[in-house]
Amino acid sequence: MENLKKSTWTRVLCYILIPIFLIILILSVLNVAITSEYGDFNKNQDFVQTENFAMNYLYSIVTDIEYIKEYEKSNKSQSYGKYAEIEDSDYSEGRIYYESRNYNDTYIYNNIQYIIINKETNELYTNIRTKNYIQDIEDMKTKDIYWVYEDGNISTNIELMNQDNAKYLISDYQSMEEMQGYKVYTSFDMQALNSTNVFYIQQEVYNLFKGHENAPVYLIPISAICLIAMIIYLCISIGHEKGKEGIVLNGIDKFPYEILFTIISMIIGIVLSIGIAGIEVQIPQKMVISLFLLSYLGSYASGMVLFVTTVKRIKAKQFWKTFLIYKIYAWIKRSLKKSINAITDKTNSNRKIAILYWSFIIITSILISLSGSFFGFLLLIAFWILVFYEILQYNKKLKQIQDALMDIYQGKPDVHLDEEVLKGTLGKMAKYINDIAGGFHNAIEQSLKSERMKTELITNVSHDIKTPLTSIINYVDLLKKENIQDAKIEQYIAILDKKSQRLKKLIEDLVEASKVSSGNLKLNMEDINIKELIQQITGEFEDKFEKKNLKIDMNLAKESMIVKADTRYMYRIVENLFSNITKYALENTRVYIELKKYNERIYLTIKNISKDRLNITSEELMQRFVRGDKSRYTEGSGLGLSIAKSLTELQGGNFNIQIDGDLFKVEIIW
Amino acid sequence: MYQILVVDDDREIANAIEIYLSREGYKVLKAYDGEEALNIIKNNEIHLVILDVMMPKKDGIETLEEIRKTKTIPVIMLSAKSEDYDKIAGLDTGADDYITKPFNPLELIARVKSHLRRYVEFGNLDKKESKSLLKTGELEIDDEKKKVTVDGKEIKLTATEYHILKFLLENKGKVFSITQIYENVWNEESYGAENIIAVHIRHIREKIEINPKEPKYLKVIWGIGYKIEDIT
Repeated sequence: MENLKKSTWTRVLCYILIPIFLIILILSVLNVAITSEYGDFNKNQDFVQTENFAMNYLYSIVTDIEYIKEYEKSNKSQSYGKYAEIEDSDYSEGRIYYESRNYNDTYIYNNIQYIIINKETNELYTNIRTKNYIQDIEDMKTKDIYWVYEDGNISTNIELMNQDNAKYLISDYQSMEEMQGYKVYTSFDMQALNSTNVFYIQQEVYNLFKGHENAPVYLIPISAICLIAMIIYLCISIGHEKGKEGIVLNGIDKFPYEILFTIISMIIGIVLSIGIAGIEVQIPQKMVISLFLLSYLGSYASGMVLFVTTVKRIKAKQFWKTFLIYKIYAWIKRSLKKSINAITDKTNSNRKIAILYWSFIIITSILISLSGSFFGFLLLIAFWILVFYEILQYNKKLKQIQDALMDIYQGKPDVHLDEEVLKGTLGKMAKYINDIAGGFHNAIEQSLKSERMKTELITNVSHDIKTPLTSIINYVDLLKKENIQDAKIEQYIAILDKKSQRLKKLIEDLVEASKVSSGNLKLNMEDINIKELIQQITGEFEDKFEKKNLKIDMNLAKESMIVKADTRYMYRIVENLFSNITKYALENTRVYIELKKYNERIYLTIKNISKDRLNITSEELMQRFVRGDKSRYTEGSGLGLSIAKSLTELQGGNFNIQIDGDLFKVEIIW
Repeated sequence: MYQILVVDDDREIANAIEIYLSREGYKVLKAYDGEEALNIIKNNEIHLVILDVMMPKKDGIETLEEIRKTKTIPVIMLSAKSEDYDKIAGLDTGADDYITKPFNPLELIARVKSHLRRYVEFGNLDKKESKSLLKTGELEIDDEKKKVTVDGKEIKLTATEYHILKFLLENKGKVFSITQIYENVWNEESYGAENIIAVHIRHIREKIEINPKEPKYLKVIWGIGYKIEDIT
């Protein structure tokens, strides 16, 4: 089935058979039509004996007489200039008018020869050009076919056209009455049936069907069924090709349909009219048939091309889409959509700005032109206010993005922007910022996790160190209490005592520093008065300062300095700093402690003179295990400043160190 | 003679503690793990236990739980674990004290003495409840005699220190800032003399506390003020 559908040969066969069956059908139908016109085929008579011939013959004559009458009525006006007057003839009773054949006037051209004489004026009308018309009139009755009308009497050698029959053949619109007042002599040369004229075609058709009068009875249904079957087959088969799926469209199938339709219709029209023209133009009779056939085949081929492509287009569901009109419509639609998209496209900010800008200009211009009226003026002001408001709104959104970026920059990646609220370009920016923030957040989480693990490790190791250290400290203490005479041993024990105490301090600081720097602390935030804190700790350190003869110069603001913080860790910060002063400040100097409020922020400044040269930077000083040069050999772990800085930052403060020569200055800001 | 049980898997530490306590006249029994300790407690009259936390077989916390099922004797935990939550875990289980390693021997002895006094002499302390007696834990002020005692031991304070302590004890549990203390004790407004209060309070702590850095009675709330802990 599928093979048959895609068989090229079957299809070609159809293309060949269709015109044959079609012409059979046409001819069969014509046969039926012609049978009714020509009368009984059974008589098997010659063409000239048929009713059809007789009717056409008489019709032609009556038409000629009608024309002559019109011509006479118009006083032989030039506009009826079918006739030309001639003189060189033996006919002397009246004027002679010769019909120079004008094919435009005679819509049916036949070779009936006539001589018509007006009995009143004796004027002679003819289509024969001779010298002796009298003789010709006499000769007419000797021709193959003749028909003469004289004074109401008809003489003819064709039975159908004689006195009795003729009046029935003349159609309703015409009558024999027309001929009164005229003598009509006509003849028809059988020779004329061999040349091109209407009678010739009619005779050929007549001969074709003569003796086949029963054929159409079965030919019409057979040829019709075959045609329909083949057309149905073609409809199914068309468009499918071997080795290919679906409907295959060729170049011609994509050609705009209405243009193709017009072109093919024109071709068919031209070809057919050439074929028909063959009847009218005098060309050899055999050629007329071939011309007819050619024009038929040409029309058929053109029609078939149109048929095939139409079927294909419909089957491929492309019929409307191949119309040029549709293509134009689609193009307009597409470009309209494109331009609308371009305007509404949020990614193209340049275009958007351009549109907004020009909209503003145009609307403003329109409103300015209207502003002559009070209402127009109000409208203009309202519009300007609206635009200003929109710009402020936009700026607000921009500010959100800026703040988010600022947060990330300052190391607070816990930002989330609402991408829905910030539409368009800003929305996109918001999305990117969220992604970046998320990335930072993850990285920070990761590093926090590893810091926590480090802290855990340090804490665990510190437990293991503390146990043997306990024994060392205890037994050194026991040794100290023994009654030792040797000063040297006593000195050694003193060193052991000092170093084991320092080791203890180191371990404690190490654990604390790792905890603080990893942020692994639980903060218990409450309102703390820094002023109170400073006073308390100063009290704690009073005797230590006194021992080094350090004078404390306190400059505390009168009012309370309240900060949200954890009291224990705040104590550790200040305690570390004070403890550093007792360790590293030059003896017999002053220590300045200042607490003040400036711009809603609280500044705690502690200044002292260093005992040793501070030949490192403040940044280095704050790093873990770094101390100012010689202090390495003294007590302390070197973690104090680092812990203080980390604790301050954990509680939301800033911790700065400045070194100016021997002046050591710490500034904590909340 | 009081019998003290020292439990530590580190024999040297246990020995060192024994030496210190023997010098103070206590009889010391030693155990090197939790199970051994429980056996000794079962078979001997023990007045106080010093208990290490990290030990094989049965750790300090588990051992403490077992002890607390039958005994109310004072237990001092001794551990290298110095985190807050370690201390809280120990105290919550029923320890009376928590000392971190490496420890100060003097502090250990002071605490042992304090707990023994409280535990052994608690029942006999039928002191008459005079109106003038102010008390929190083992800290007492007899306002009639102007006498301050901690664990029954008399403490010498200066007049100013005495007034400050008395004021705080009268309002035990409440926190007072330096200014508030000054104004209440001196009955006049302070004019920058606050630093002295802080010094006084440090002195009081040094006198009444075993470890002034980790006070039991006179607590410092840094940045807020001072208070006397309300211990019943």
